[in-house]
Amino acid sequence: MPPQVGSRRSLIVSLVLTVAIAFGSLAATLSLGWGPKLGLDLAGGLSVVYKPTTQASLADMQEVVTILTNRVDGLGVSGATVNLQGTEVVVSVPGVKDARQVLAAVGQTAQLLFRPVLCEAGVGTKLVKTPLPACAPQYQDTEANLNVNTTTGNPVNIAPDPAFTDIASTKPAKDLAQDTVLLPLLGQPGVRYVLGKSELTGHSIKKAIAQQDQAGAWVVNYTLTSTGSPLWDKVAAENFHQLLAIELDGVVQSAPLIQPNQASFTSFDGQGQISGSFTEASAKTLALAMNFGALPVRLQALTTVTVSPTLGHSALVAGLGAGLAGLALVLLYTILYYRALGLVIVFGLAVTASLLWAIISALGHTAFAPSFDLAGVTGLIVSIGITVDSYIVYFERLKDEARAGRSVRSSVDRGFRSAWRTVLAADTVSLLAAVLLYIIAVGDVKGFAFFLGLSTLMDVFITWYFTRPLVVLLGRRGSSSTSKLSMAAGLHAGAPSE
Amino acid sequence: MSNDTVSFAPVDPKNYGRAGRLYHGLTTVDFVGRRKIWFSVSLVIIVLGLGSLAIRGFNLGIDFKGGSSWEVLAPNTSILNMTHAVEKAGLTNPSVEKLGSDTYQVTADINALSQSQQAVVTTQVVDAMAKTAHANPIQVSTSNVGPTWGGQITNKAFEALIVFFIAVVAYISIRFEPKMAIAAFIAMVHDLLVTVGVYSIFGFQITPDTVIAILTILGYSLYDTVVVFDRVRDNTQGVLKGGDLTYSEMVNLSMNQTLARSINTSLVAILPVLSVLLIGADLLGATTLRDYGLALFVGLMSGAYSSIFIASPLLAWMKEREPRYRDLAVRVNVRTDRRTLTASSAALQGAQTSASNARPQRSGGASGTIQARARKPKRR
Repeated sequence: MPPQVGSRRSLIVSLVLTVAIAFGSLAATLSLGWGPKLGLDLAGGLSVVYKPTTQASLADMQEVVTILTNRVDGLGVSGATVNLQGTEVVVSVPGVKDARQVLAAVGQTAQLLFRPVLCEAGVGTKLVKTPLPACAPQYQDTEANLNVNTTTGNPVNIAPDPAFTDIASTKPAKDLAQDTVLLPLLGQPGVRYVLGKSELTGHSIKKAIAQQDQAGAWVVNYTLTSTGSPLWDKVAAENFHQLLAIELDGVVQSAPLIQPNQASFTSFDGQGQISGSFTEASAKTLALAMNFGALPVRLQALTTVTVSPTLGHSALVAGLGAGLAGLALVLLYTILYYRALGLVIVFGLAVTASLLWAIISALGHTAFAPSFDLAGVTGLIVSIGITVDSYIVYFERLKDEARAGRSVRSSVDRGFRSAWRTVLAADTVSLLAAVLLYIIAVGDVKGFAFFLGLSTLMDVFITWYFTRPLVVLLGRRGSSSTSKLSMAAGLHAGAPSE
Repeated sequence: MSNDTVSFAPVDPKNYGRAGRLYHGLTTVDFVGRRKIWFSVSLVIIVLGLGSLAIRGFNLGIDFKGGSSWEVLAPNTSILNMTHAVEKAGLTNPSVEKLGSDTYQVTADINALSQSQQAVVTTQVVDAMAKTAHANPIQVSTSNVGPTWGGQITNKAFEALIVFFIAVVAYISIRFEPKMAIAAFIAMVHDLLVTVGVYSIFGFQITPDTVIAILTILGYSLYDTVVVFDRVRDNTQGVLKGGDLTYSEMVNLSMNQTLARSINTSLVAILPVLSVLLIGADLLGATTLRDYGLALFVGLMSGAYSSIFIASPLLAWMKEREPRYRDLAVRVNVRTDRRTLTASSAALQGAQTSASNARPQRSGGASGTIQARARKPKRR
């Protein structure tokens, strides 16, 4: 079935409705004060792409997204997004005043592990040994060797194992939970620990806070998750009266003794306290690490981009300026070439632009739409060409019909039918490209494809509901060919002067 | 109320100048016959490009090699000052560029340093640039790319490209016909090679945005080709019955009829891109716009060329090898009473062909026996 061009009544209804919807929705979004959600390159801001260093499951990556979202939200910046794209996590924080501070907090990509301390080791950088040698029995931090005094809470001091003196600390990439590792202690150069396999990760920690106890000393109080609590008790029981190291990103944050003041192990019941020689700062650092360091996988920053608000603004101005200038050139050309029909294009583009702006602004208020960045602006600028081309295809068909001696009245109907097929075929190809790019590509490309696809759909819609009724109605009205701007003039009069 | 039908006088190509003939679809360019010229032009550009690619390779941006770049808006300084400042801040061998009127971009590769050292150097460079620009450090944009990032973008792009090619060939094969799909595919490969070659010859920097833009170009070039093929299919549907025109002549006719559209379309596509390139990138110094604009500009030119001069002649050449069209060509050529069919009379016939139900307003003149009526509404 060929598309029916339609009765006069239905054409008028379609035309009026389209124009009303376009300008109505534009007025609505403007009065609501909605605008497009600007991308980083336009608003300024920070964007980091992280990738797990090892294979990670989807569930792990989703947890990473949740944790990173918490970190960003914890900084109190608005409009930040953390997205999973394939196996990568993209963190975008628009309009950040001081990107460096945010970067430091978000970029802390560590995973938190609890490991039993096997023995202490001295300084060493030279040799790389995997696997590490075993600690000699007399240096081992076993319950018997440490022999904790439950009154003072102090263990017997055990010297570092000299066997490790020349061995370098474990490299971050080799720092795997299931291996025995050699890691330095935070803030105490020269102190390193040989650590056993980790059976507990930061997942088990629900919340940690740095607080002062009654004596005014800084401590870290923590609560455990319901699944973490029995795990914790198991590990703590195994390491009773021994040191349990809290490792963050290849550095031992602290290695507290388990229940040194108790004669036998008792359940932690889901909460505990780490005390010792903390300063306010070190207690807070440990609490922060325990709260947010609990990433299930180790992350590596693939790319970090910050855009200053001023450069973003100038890019926005450049994009808008280029778009408007391009639009003006195109409009000027079409009016010169098609006369009255050129005005149809101008009116049509105004309707398209109103609808697009309204849709983009409305989408800016949902989490779904990609933000409007320079790539998106370019997508829209490119789509000017595609939109105008639909008119050109139609008008050139009209010229064919007119040349064959048909009346304007019948040309508009017949011309539309054949142009419609062409427009559909060509727009399908365009849409195909946009959809494929959107699905497959990463990063900026997604935004570009989204806006290209959106405006292609818009083109199909406008061609059917706006251009068709307007041109057919104009054609049926019949027009005088005396006016320089008449429809007939656009189709028939001589070529534009060179 | 006017119920007047405004009818148009028939046209005579002799009454028009060059532009007029174009405007009225009466140009007489022999697109198919001169295909060797068109193909040679493309071949020369592609061979030059590939040669340059083999010898010089690409000028890859930091997104592909890995590296860092910093940008700041600094109206009152010079490249020399900026270079001194960032070298003092710890960069060895930085490249300092001025973008647009007063944006400075510093590029260097610091991936050899450890993560913490990188952070220190990045901060120092930001401070140095801010000081040189008399600006706050937050006014400095930074970009730090690990060595593996670009590879991923390229892989994704290739993935997208292959899927896109398959989808497009399938779509055109179904919607039109397989030979058109092949011609359109070759035209796309042509655009890809030309753009890539031009990038290598002129040493333009390749960024992920360039890759995106190239993908867009392929879509756009294809869009253009589809519009031309749509007309070719229309016109050639009855060509076997007619016996007045060979397939190639019909393609030529279709090309000439859609030439005004092709040129208009390419113009309205290129005007905004040119505006992006000149106003957005050069005047206002938005680098992303420059990356897009350049690739789009080169690609659109190539795309316009390929849909007119590559895709259709190629299609005609392939179709002429089909026995039925070869027979047709023989039949057309041996017809002794056949007028010498100049391209111009073919164009004239085409004008009538495209609306054969119309009252014949011309007596005699063109042979007028062509049955190549295409727009049968029932076919969809």
